[in-house]
Amino acid sequence: MGKYRFLLLVVSMIAVMAVAALAVTTISVVVSPDNGPSIQYLAQQFMQQNPDIKVDVTIISWETLYPRLLADLTSKTGIYDAFTWDVMTAGAMHSGCLDLTQYFKDHPDIIPAGYDMNDLLPLAYKLGTWNGDLIGLPYYNNTMLFYYRKDLFNNPTYQQQFYQMFGRPLRVPTTWAEAVDVARFFTQAYNPKSPTRYGIALMFPTTHTMFYMFPLFFGPYRTSTNGIREFGPVNFDYGTYFTSDGKPAFANQYGLMALEDMKALMPYAPDPLGSDYGQTIEYFAQGMVAMCPQWTNPYLQFASSPALQPASEKIGIAPMPGVSVAGNWALGVNKYISPEKQAAAVKFILFCTTKESGMAVLKKFAIAPVRESILDSPEAQAAIPWVSALPSIYQTEAFRPRIPQEPQLESITDVYFSKMLSGAIPMTIQSLQSLADQWNKVLAGGQ
Amino acid sequence: MSKSSRKIAILFILPVIIFYLVMAIYPFVSMVYESFTNLNLTMPHSGQFIGLSNYFAIFQDPLALSSIDFSAMVVYIAVPVEMVLGLVFAYLIRGLKGERVFRTLFLIPMMIPGIVFGIAAQMIFNYLFGAANYFLSFLGIQPIAWLGQASTAQFVIIFLDVLQWTPFVFLIIYAGLLSVPQDLIDAAKVDGANGWQAFLHVEFPTLKPLIYVALIIRIIDALKIFGKIYMTTWGGPGTATSSWSFYIYKVGVSYGWDIGYASALAVILLIVSTILVNILIKFLNLGEQLGISKET
Repeated sequence: MGKYRFLLLVVSMIAVMAVAALAVTTISVVVSPDNGPSIQYLAQQFMQQNPDIKVDVTIISWETLYPRLLADLTSKTGIYDAFTWDVMTAGAMHSGCLDLTQYFKDHPDIIPAGYDMNDLLPLAYKLGTWNGDLIGLPYYNNTMLFYYRKDLFNNPTYQQQFYQMFGRPLRVPTTWAEAVDVARFFTQAYNPKSPTRYGIALMFPTTHTMFYMFPLFFGPYRTSTNGIREFGPVNFDYGTYFTSDGKPAFANQYGLMALEDMKALMPYAPDPLGSDYGQTIEYFAQGMVAMCPQWTNPYLQFASSPALQPASEKIGIAPMPGVSVAGNWALGVNKYISPEKQAAAVKFILFCTTKESGMAVLKKFAIAPVRESILDSPEAQAAIPWVSALPSIYQTEAFRPRIPQEPQLESITDVYFSKMLSGAIPMTIQSLQSLADQWNKVLAGGQ
Repeated sequence: MSKSSRKIAILFILPVIIFYLVMAIYPFVSMVYESFTNLNLTMPHSGQFIGLSNYFAIFQDPLALSSIDFSAMVVYIAVPVEMVLGLVFAYLIRGLKGERVFRTLFLIPMMIPGIVFGIAAQMIFNYLFGAANYFLSFLGIQPIAWLGQASTAQFVIIFLDVLQWTPFVFLIIYAGLLSVPQDLIDAAKVDGANGWQAFLHVEFPTLKPLIYVALIIRIIDALKIFGKIYMTTWGGPGTATSSWSFYIYKVGVSYGWDIGYASALAVILLIVSTILVNILIKFLNLGEQLGISKET
């Protein structure tokens, strides 16, 4: 009899556990490393408020995240319920993303009270759309900033030395041509009195990094009066690389000048062709370089580096000498999952994009805000120094293409630019034309 | 074997056969079929049959053609170096004091995945903080942009491959050396041969089949080099360190999911590997060396 009682007890316990497990909806969220810690933090907060939803967050590197997501969405397997996606992959991703505009229309009650859709920055919102459908809520309004050593630029000795060398005052460069002189001044090989070993940290590796670095240099030409006259305004889906009617815009003297600007800075940077995101952050954080174009969130790494203390006196932040480039991330939901999971995932991404969440992740993780009210908030501006600089930077940003062929174009371009910068192929308009020919093949549907 | 025993045997191996069919044969056949289609996961309504177009496109694709160079470089440089070093180490380590310890230590690189090698290489060959430039600075050598120049980046990948796979060659040859009957060596010594002569005329001929096997395995593996490139150079600068298999990954997975074209590239790799290995087997007379050739 005792045996049966024990068995009954075990069965009852299993049944209770099973019922409890069934009552909880688990959603799988996959995110990039940039967004990872902040989403993990928000997931904890969300689960405290929503005990019926369990959020499993997986962080995957950029290179792996995109192919995995694309495979999941295209094969309709529904492995990931919600995800951060790079807005430049909108064209490729849209077919598997839930149309949130329609979802909100069908489920108006899911939007929490006080959630202000109109407060979302129009540009960030637009980047989360494709063909008019909202396929991702804007989460991270990332952009590139020009970090520099404020203490060195303000130092009277260096100012005097710079004036003696170049006959003009030392200031934070506003053009890439100016940046060359400043970078030279802060490179020990060219100026033994330089306090830093190198002038600037550049990342021109044969990875997707190259694809976002080029617009920093090409953007000023493409959006100049002449550029607009010749190529038309920048089309939002095709981006800065293209003419307004979707043809490559770089196979000309402007593209060449942009590459020449990049090349001119290379002697003053530590291993630009072999350095990527992580390395350049480290070079600036360790005080090895005087300037560093970087994204918004490495600020916290710089601010905590012993070599850059006190941070308020050593870390300067300015707009890019050329133009910045948009690196926005949105939060999307898988179209091919159960309605229960969709509801839970939508709830979660709404939670992540509220004003309160935006403020929290800005302060804790330097996630650039997607809400106007946060950009305007003195609290936010006091927390992270670049917040007040963002509105003007966003106005002149360059954009990478968002068309479905973007990844293929990127793959080809990284190689060509790397070869031109390393001298493996001549840096000429002909080489750029041959790249444009490759692009046209991809755009026409061939390899 | 009786009829019922045969049935039972077939029943036992059936799960393995099914597993093999599902996990290896079906994907392979599917890949070959897809190589004749324009299947691309980013493009809706793709997957139409396009005949040999993907194969023709390969010969007009400069990125594909340039990745042949580095694949060939790995086969022509890394593999011979691994073979020679493996043989030398196997010869030198035998009978050495602390042989067991050396043998164990020597095998460690082989156990480390290529990805880990790549991460370590990124740190070791970092321009400003890397150990390689740090130690070279003691010799008065200026920092080298190991991963930022074509020639040095190629050197790094080949060096890593040699470091990782020399122990594999060593292991095979070392095992072979230990299995050479001592009587033969003693007889050679009685006839007046010194250690080197005994190795050259007695041990080496015995080892030949094993060396050939190691060579073929290494060639097949070198053609598939991927992990170290993925983690260290991403095929750059330019296409300097882009191997054929890395290019397949870029086309098929990393950028764009162009499955049709990537499948064609993979089929070409398979054909090249198969032809190369068959030529080698014939040229080295491996079947006879191993005693597995069909008797006529």
